Amino acid sequence: MGQGNPEMGGAERCTFCAEPPVIRLSEPDRHLCAAHLICEIEERAARTIRERELVRPHDRIAVAFSGGKDSTALLLILSRLLLSWDDVSLVAITVDEGIAGYRDDTIRAAEEVTKKLGIEHICVSFTDLVGDDLDTLLVGRETNACSVCGILRRKALTVAAHDAGATKIATGHNLDDEAQSVLMNTLRGDLPRLVRTSDADSSDCFIPRIKPLADVAEKEIAAYLFVQDLFPFLPECPYTRYALRREVRSMLSALEQQHPGTMRNLIKSKRAIEKQVDRSTISEPLRRCRQCGDPCSGELCQVCSLRKSLGK
Amino acid sequence: MKIFFPDSTTKITAGEPVSIGWILQQRDINPSEVIVSRNGKLVPEDAVASGDDEIRIIRIAHGG
Repeated sequence: MGQGNPEMGGAERCTFCAEPPVIRLSEPDRHLCAAHLICEIEERAARTIRERELVRPHDRIAVAFSGGKDSTALLLILSRLLLSWDDVSLVAITVDEGIAGYRDDTIRAAEEVTKKLGIEHICVSFTDLVGDDLDTLLVGRETNACSVCGILRRKALTVAAHDAGATKIATGHNLDDEAQSVLMNTLRGDLPRLVRTSDADSSDCFIPRIKPLADVAEKEIAAYLFVQDLFPFLPECPYTRYALRREVRSMLSALEQQHPGTMRNLIKSKRAIEKQVDRSTISEPLRRCRQCGDPCSGELCQVCSLRKSLGK
Repeated sequence: MKIFFPDSTTKITAGEPVSIGWILQQRDINPSEVIVSRNGKLVPEDAVASGDDEIRIIRIAHGG
């Protein structure tokens, strides 16, 4: 920022109709009204699904549904696309980590949305999984919050999706999330994770994961929901202040502002590297955890290693 | 005009019309991290705010 006065007196109407614009997008530069924004976002998600073959007839899709904006948009878009798909069903799964002053509000929001859309909703908790909530598990280890939470949340989601008979797990990861992950994995020197395939990834679980919103920016998602009175005004997770992602997010959004296209270029680089790299030469061969039998790269899977370190 | 910022502060100003982008720049707010409504309706950053407009700047990243 800080490049002089931003321009004033922009377009008074949508590039495609006479309605007032709600957002300005670049590449190509255009102003969109609410109706054209909704149309564009849903078409882009549908294109991602079509081009990457993320959904097949008879799929039962478990949507990782926190009640936040990304998963709300994902559930809404999938529920609308569902009408044109052959025998595909949805089930929303919410994981209650047990974060005081945060998760209760998002779970309430999640219940309201699934009820409104008429979608089956399952709620599972860390207490069910490991006997304690996240707040209790993190006492004295707050700086590891996102890593502990991520491992347990993935496990809780996988178990619930399996129990619900799901053939795919859909997550609300957006363009910003994807670009942040590329940069974070690079900063950590984690090449195996960097080149993990983007589409229907089944390398760390039995149920393939899909990301239909991977080509939609976070701001576009927020605007998409806001114009439909569905934007969830929720508190921020209290543990995000410990996350590397927070710093990366801030750095990348500043770069994107100064140099539009930065995030897409990062993702493009990742895809180019993916095509060049023989994953078998840089990743540990897939084994079975000696404790629980889940697929993993070491002796113990991440969940069992974590349980061990937590004394669970 | 009355401006509601994401940190829950508000500011009442009078004077010449200004762009939403200019308001964000004055507070060093990155436009890609917020959406902005004018009198309850979403507007792009090149829209103009003036008079009795009520501007609400909403932070979009929640985490989790």
